[in-house]
Amino acid sequence: MSRFRLPGKGRVNHAETVRFSFDGKAYEGLRGDTVASALLAHGIHLMGRSFKYHRPRGPVTADSAEPNALIGTSRGPGRFEPNTRATVQELRQGLECESQNRLGSLAFDLGAVNDALHPLFPAGFYYKTFMWPRSFWDRLYEPIIRRAAGLGRAPSEVDPDIYASRYLHTDLLVVGAGPSGLMAALVAARAGARVTLVDENPEMGGAILSDPGVGIDGQPAWDWLAQTLEELASLGVRLMTRTTAIGYYHQNMIGLCEKITDHLDTIPDGAPRERMWRVRATRVVLAQGALEKPLVFHGNDRPGVMLAGAAQSYLHRWGVRVGDRAVIVTSHDSAYFTAFDLAEAGTKVVAIIDTREAPPEALRAEARARGIELLAGHTVTGTKGRLRVASVTVNPVEAGRIGDPRMLHCDCLLMSGGWTPSLHLFSHTKASLAWDEQSRTFLPGRMTEECHIAGAGRGLWGYLDALSDGAEAGAAAARALGQEAEAPTPAVAHDRAGTGESHKELPTDRTSSRVRAFIDFQNDVTAKDIRLAVREGMRSIEHVKRYTTNGMATDQGKMSSINGLMIAADAVGKAPPEVGLTTFRPPYTPTTFGAFAGYHKGATFEVTRATPIDGWAEENGAVYEPVSLWRRAWYFPQGGEDMDRAVARECRATREGVGIFDASTLGKIEVAGPDAVEFMNRMYTNPWTKLAPGRCRYGVLLGEDGYIRDDGVIGRLGPDLFHVTTTTGGAARVLNMMEDYLQTEWPDLDVWLTSTTEQWATVALNGPKARKVLEGLVEGADMSAEAMPHMSVAECRVAGFKARLFRLSFTGELGFEINVPARHGRALWEALMQAGQPHGICAYGTETMHVLRAEKGFIIIGQDTDGTVAPEDAGLGWAIGKKKPDFVGKRSLARPDLVAEGRKQLVGLLTEDGHVKLEEGAQIVFDPDQPKPMKMVGHVTSSYHSATLGRSIAMALIEGGRDRMGETVHVPMPDGVVRAKVTSTAFYDPDGDRLKL
Amino acid sequence: MMTSQTHDFAADAGARVRVEALAPVARFSLRVRQQGRAALGRALGLDLPERVGEVARAGERAVLCLGPDEWLIHAPEAETDAIAAAGAEVYAEAPHALVELSDREVSFAITGPAAAELLSIGCPRDLGRLAPGRAVRTVFDSAQVVLWRDGAEAFRVDVWRSFAPHVGALLDAGRAEIAAGL
Amino acid sequence: MLLIHCPYCDETLPEAEFAYAGEAHIIRPADPSTLTDEEWRDFLFIRSNARGPHYERWRHVHGCARFFNAVRDTVSDRFLLTYKAGEKRPDLASLGVAE
Repeated sequence: MSRFRLPGKGRVNHAETVRFSFDGKAYEGLRGDTVASALLAHGIHLMGRSFKYHRPRGPVTADSAEPNALIGTSRGPGRFEPNTRATVQELRQGLECESQNRLGSLAFDLGAVNDALHPLFPAGFYYKTFMWPRSFWDRLYEPIIRRAAGLGRAPSEVDPDIYASRYLHTDLLVVGAGPSGLMAALVAARAGARVTLVDENPEMGGAILSDPGVGIDGQPAWDWLAQTLEELASLGVRLMTRTTAIGYYHQNMIGLCEKITDHLDTIPDGAPRERMWRVRATRVVLAQGALEKPLVFHGNDRPGVMLAGAAQSYLHRWGVRVGDRAVIVTSHDSAYFTAFDLAEAGTKVVAIIDTREAPPEALRAEARARGIELLAGHTVTGTKGRLRVASVTVNPVEAGRIGDPRMLHCDCLLMSGGWTPSLHLFSHTKASLAWDEQSRTFLPGRMTEECHIAGAGRGLWGYLDALSDGAEAGAAAARALGQEAEAPTPAVAHDRAGTGESHKELPTDRTSSRVRAFIDFQNDVTAKDIRLAVREGMRSIEHVKRYTTNGMATDQGKMSSINGLMIAADAVGKAPPEVGLTTFRPPYTPTTFGAFAGYHKGATFEVTRATPIDGWAEENGAVYEPVSLWRRAWYFPQGGEDMDRAVARECRATREGVGIFDASTLGKIEVAGPDAVEFMNRMYTNPWTKLAPGRCRYGVLLGEDGYIRDDGVIGRLGPDLFHVTTTTGGAARVLNMMEDYLQTEWPDLDVWLTSTTEQWATVALNGPKARKVLEGLVEGADMSAEAMPHMSVAECRVAGFKARLFRLSFTGELGFEINVPARHGRALWEALMQAGQPHGICAYGTETMHVLRAEKGFIIIGQDTDGTVAPEDAGLGWAIGKKKPDFVGKRSLARPDLVAEGRKQLVGLLTEDGHVKLEEGAQIVFDPDQPKPMKMVGHVTSSYHSATLGRSIAMALIEGGRDRMGETVHVPMPDGVVRAKVTSTAFYDPDGDRLKL
Repeated sequence: MMTSQTHDFAADAGARVRVEALAPVARFSLRVRQQGRAALGRALGLDLPERVGEVARAGERAVLCLGPDEWLIHAPEAETDAIAAAGAEVYAEAPHALVELSDREVSFAITGPAAAELLSIGCPRDLGRLAPGRAVRTVFDSAQVVLWRDGAEAFRVDVWRSFAPHVGALLDAGRAEIAAGL
Repeated sequence: MLLIHCPYCDETLPEAEFAYAGEAHIIRPADPSTLTDEEWRDFLFIRSNARGPHYERWRHVHGCARFFNAVRDTVSDRFLLTYKAGEKRPDLASLGVAE
């Protein structure tokens, strides 16, 4: 039995030992322990080192607000986590923990040299020190800062855990299962509401867990708790423990992070480590209680100095006395109960130091009765002890004068500076806080959401008030939900109500420069730092925070914000509400990336769309590239080919014989209805009226601003029916744009749009032998050049499947695109491969497609255009239906900007040295000898090596490009300037003879 | 066709939720103005419901109102041509768009006491408010789906073909999680 | 994530089913060719950028697929009203908002 553990006490299971290690040393704890309670049971307070000064630190809390006791935890490869709060991490068999932020051992930390040098590290140290000389930055300052930055060590392996997420809809969400939250849930559930009750702790009860002596409704508090939880369960209330409400968003959406496996000895198969819940609640009750404030005095950070409420929790929840000799220093009644409970448990309470002159008589009497010395109207001016507090210096304060010191020996110093309502979630809603001068704290002000605050969050103290207020909140919520509800008044025995006073620093007789009274323990921010920041001109609390780093530690100011504000307000000479609190932002406590990512890792990181032919590509060694959400076959290397060789082979095979390409990702929209042609005339630049059924046309779609948005070949299948194709990436956008015009501008048109992108699998067949491959498979259509000329479409059967057969070409070769119902896509592909075998058919990927189209000067939307390119700029003026009265973007083609001289125009570029391939995106200048910065006149949009032409080719947008044919432009690159000649974009077969097969 | 497994009913007996990839059916999108609704209904042998989310059934044909002028028809595959022909017959009288989508989408069945729970991993709607017999277009994770509630513990999800592997993988992950019981 | 009432579905539904679609009540001129460059520029680019109630369009893109109109307060991010496309622009007074 550990020396500080009380046999049979607490809510831990004394019958079950749990083994764990801390810094390599083996320890035993009990089931139900946290790392902190288990170490404290062994008398260990020293658990970490502070960030800046490497000062020894022990736990100051027993909960999630802990700033000091941060540890690394591990359960095997990939499962190391730094900055875990020892006060929250539950023991599990074999848990390995290590302390952080030390050079050497925890007891002998070389980094503690910073502490001796502390006068060198004032507030704003970083801003002041690393400014000059400039040349020191790269070689000295940055490496030093990088080495010192961050707490703990980052895990280096892939996290093997699963993370989950859920949506949840509930009538009432109650956050916090202390006395108020329990009552709120109970009253609302009894009234018939669907209730969800969450608490970040492993068990529900909140303060009740630390106050077993209280009686509720005639029962000991813990019996009442057990009975209440049973009733809640029987009423169907969803009870969620280890679940933290991390953020409160619009319209009562609350984010919950549920910890599922961190406390388990082994991880069950398929069990997620954490689950993020997105809860939508009709009403919310926030019953998050209050956070105890540390007192600010010299040496308040020594291990063994902790919050009085924490000591009380260790005693009652885990059966652990935090020391043998305790001194209490308080400005609030609540710490008296800690003193009394500890005394009863066998700890010698040396004295209660009350900063108030006249504590309540009842408490004085009880202290007297227990033989505890009470020093009212006293202050603490210092502590001593290297790795653990050993003594406290206390002085009387009379009329502001500090009297003679007295030293009290102790091994723990338990402090209470009063309580701050925990209103973090409430603040996430942009609700306002109201300063209450009497309690000198912020209380809930104006609300923005449908929520109720109950209990200590409203500054109420004591069980009767907390239970009653919770009941009221639950009843109010139920009534808002349309239920009838009444709030019962509970009966409370041995209540622990109380009041207190609020302080800035405690009065001291030390010279101010020698006082090291900590506010933000983790970041080593002292009261002096705050005052210095104000002296140096910081007036806003937000500036003070950033200058001093107060509140920027992992506890996000839970321990430090309010004390920092009190001191800053005093230094500025204003009332605290005028200085204001810093903004609370989600998450409430540190939350893993895994919980936010949920299922979005590995194979389900994001949607990966694959075509019906993707399986063939995979089996045939395709290398893929992502195109919007699709994965597309990029090229098909054979026998160890690299990309360049594979693409060159695919290009040659297509130009010389026949190539086959999976074009299924192309967007497809069925435009159908009596007004289909009118709609097409209004949407696309081209004229459609005279396009006969059975024919198709290249269409250009503009935005209303006149810039090219999309393009594609559009077939007319009947008088009232068009088969529109869009770019792969533009499919959804184009349909949305069309629907927008149709629904809101032209609702009178009788035409309907349906996405058929995934109804059809599309296979492109290109090359002089394309018809030979295809014709044997086609039924119901005449494949002759006369019956099916270039740019025609037929409905027929191909390889036995119902098909829409287009004759078109994106390569400049004789080309067909065959659409069949998607489920037959692969069968069609394989039939074509088989039919093509005698003709040397070659599968090609998107890279070859890009090269072949570039050789012809065909543009790719989004590559050769960028949202500022008008049709004329891209050389597509021919596609404008100039006689049409209107179409989307037509008026903009006459905008002053679009008719101005010198617009960038799409041209071809041939480098002087055909072996040199330009970089896509490279900037172009006319004069390479001009001084820098040079005037950039355009950029390279597409650039490839063309196997067909035996040299590199490129396309570029260049100012006034089409008037510069034959001129030389210059492309400055890091290793020299590349010279290139401006040409037409039609590099290959400019007259289109190859289409006339 | 997709990575999701079809689960053997017997092997899964007692499981809290089952996920099955369903066999293909004939699917059509029907778009028609209010004045043509009755004519199309007669032609298709279905009373086109008027409110979004409502489903009407006749024999093995089901029609779901997806939007004010949009319906989704499911029918046995053998009826594909008959449905197309029935629409064409009344086109002059009631202009409309009847587009076959049998291959655009695939469907999963999700059944069992934990069916709604499984869907809550990706569907932000309050499924408690989707009454049995109704169906809606909504989202599951980043995929658009049509979600049919056939019974208290029976759902179907229609999803575009290329999104199906993603949806299937998520449903599998959720199923494993529910099986783990944590 | 917001909740949005779709006036066509007559249901309040999660924002994930919806897409924002810009300012509302900007009507495409019947004959753009009659507009001056300045008028056309204003139609294309000039928006109210309201601080407070803002008339805007949304689309229930993953639901009934309809575009509709809304009044949303850009400060509080709250919807004051949603209504069908083509319906009259409601005045703010009728929504209990001072103009």
